[in-house]
Amino acid sequence: MSALCRRIPSLVNQLRIPTFAALKQQKVILSSLPTRVLGVNLFSTKPPPSINDKLMEFFDDPKNWEQDNIKTGRSWKLDELRIKSNEDLHKLWYVLLKERNMLLTMERECQTEYRVFPNPERIDKVEESMENLETVVRERNRAYFELETTEPAERPGKLEMNQIGMRYFYKHSEHLIPKVMNRKWREKVVHGYEGNAVKKFLRLKAEKLRDRESWKTHSRRRYVSRIFSEYPDADAKSLQEAFPDVDVEAARKHIDARGNHDKNLN
Amino acid sequence: MRLLRALCGPVKGPTIGELTLKYSNLPERYVRRAMRQIEYQTPRGKPQYLNRTLERTIFKFSTNRPWTFEFQQDNAPRKKIKRELIEPIKNWSFFRGDRVEVLIGKDKGKQGIVIHVFQEKNWIIVEGLNTEIKMMGEDKKNNFPGMAVRWEKPLLVTTEVKLVDPSDLKSTDIEWRFTEEGEKVRVSVRTGRIIPMPPMAEETIDYKTKGSYREGEKDTDPDELSKITFEPKLCTFDMEIMEKMGIKEDRNYAKTYWY
Repeated sequence: MSALCRRIPSLVNQLRIPTFAALKQQKVILSSLPTRVLGVNLFSTKPPPSINDKLMEFFDDPKNWEQDNIKTGRSWKLDELRIKSNEDLHKLWYVLLKERNMLLTMERECQTEYRVFPNPERIDKVEESMENLETVVRERNRAYFELETTEPAERPGKLEMNQIGMRYFYKHSEHLIPKVMNRKWREKVVHGYEGNAVKKFLRLKAEKLRDRESWKTHSRRRYVSRIFSEYPDADAKSLQEAFPDVDVEAARKHIDARGNHDKNLN
Repeated sequence: MRLLRALCGPVKGPTIGELTLKYSNLPERYVRRAMRQIEYQTPRGKPQYLNRTLERTIFKFSTNRPWTFEFQQDNAPRKKIKRELIEPIKNWSFFRGDRVEVLIGKDKGKQGIVIHVFQEKNWIIVEGLNTEIKMMGEDKKNNFPGMAVRWEKPLLVTTEVKLVDPSDLKSTDIEWRFTEEGEKVRVSVRTGRIIPMPPMAEETIDYKTKGSYREGEKDTDPDELSKITFEPKLCTFDMEIMEKMGIKEDRNYAKTYWY
């Protein structure tokens, strides 16, 4: 291992990229050469960035270090990303990724230095843009796969029952042999349930869920009644829209709706 | 029972006002993250645990904005908070810069300009009206009683204020209607005049009007933003990127089965 480490500097020396001046001396036809080698522009007169310069990209611009408020715009919307080409999206993804890395580094650095990280909503803006970008790429891939292969573009899966009778989403995985030949998988992954114990468990679970649902319905009705007790002139229409499963007129006549005013209905 | 209730499935958080987000220029995702108080979360990705989160679902809203330190103090961990009675409003019709008339209190009948909107509580604050006098900066050591400050108290939009009709400067009920151009406007019920949207309603914490917004270093140029570079092609995202970067895939894959 140590020998390998020692050898790395010499390898780097061998890989050193020729500069523009050096190439000119050698009288090579430049147009036939690639303009960039290993991500370094051959035609720039500046020296190539050192490892320290590249690492400093993890940190914000030094002029922002002392600031309390760093203003930024909003995140990328779906419709704005849909009109961009795949190449542009690919570039934008890395711009966003670098920005997110920088923000997370700065947040961590501010924590260690006992400082306030200015405008933490920047992280959310970048992550929202990244989510939107991924959605657009998925949309495009899905369109291609549905047109060409009629198969889903994503990893397939199915809603299955586990051994205690609860539904879960089983993500399919890739295998070299078919299901019939794969005894190991058949022993490991068992769908469906049987037995009286599971039946009893499911019965009790259903009862619990039913109780909870009835409790929630009751509390929603009570909340509407209490709103009428507090605000007797509340708009019934908008209340009905906010609580569609509650009978608002009945809730208004309920004893809970009585308030300290002369507009009581009961 | 409280624990059981909290463990029951995903809980919808409180709704954050549209105007609150618009004025502050913050994404909703950030506001929710700043408000979140997780007491306990089951370890994720382990078969013996179901995905459950025990967190605060009932918050106390006030004139303190949800992402501020004062809001966190109001909703300190383990503080018992009762669910507030908030009347749902279908169409919000009070905006910053609107002229309104106060219907209650010692300033009853006076008109003023709306300067703050708190949609979570159905509250607005009218400039210079419905005030109380507070003594600020009291210093007992130096025998200084403090300075008297007029402190504006919030008003409930449903019963305590009314919008003012600009044609006769009297308070009126309003209705949302559509113009012939399809624009949604507020119309005075009494006179049938349109109550225009005040320019202050466009204002946010970062800019006064959209036109006066100064582009930052990392903002995308609007021309660059609206440029259409997408060309429909019969290939996936990965295929096009590989083609652009000159990556060729010649390997033959073995047949696989998905199950």
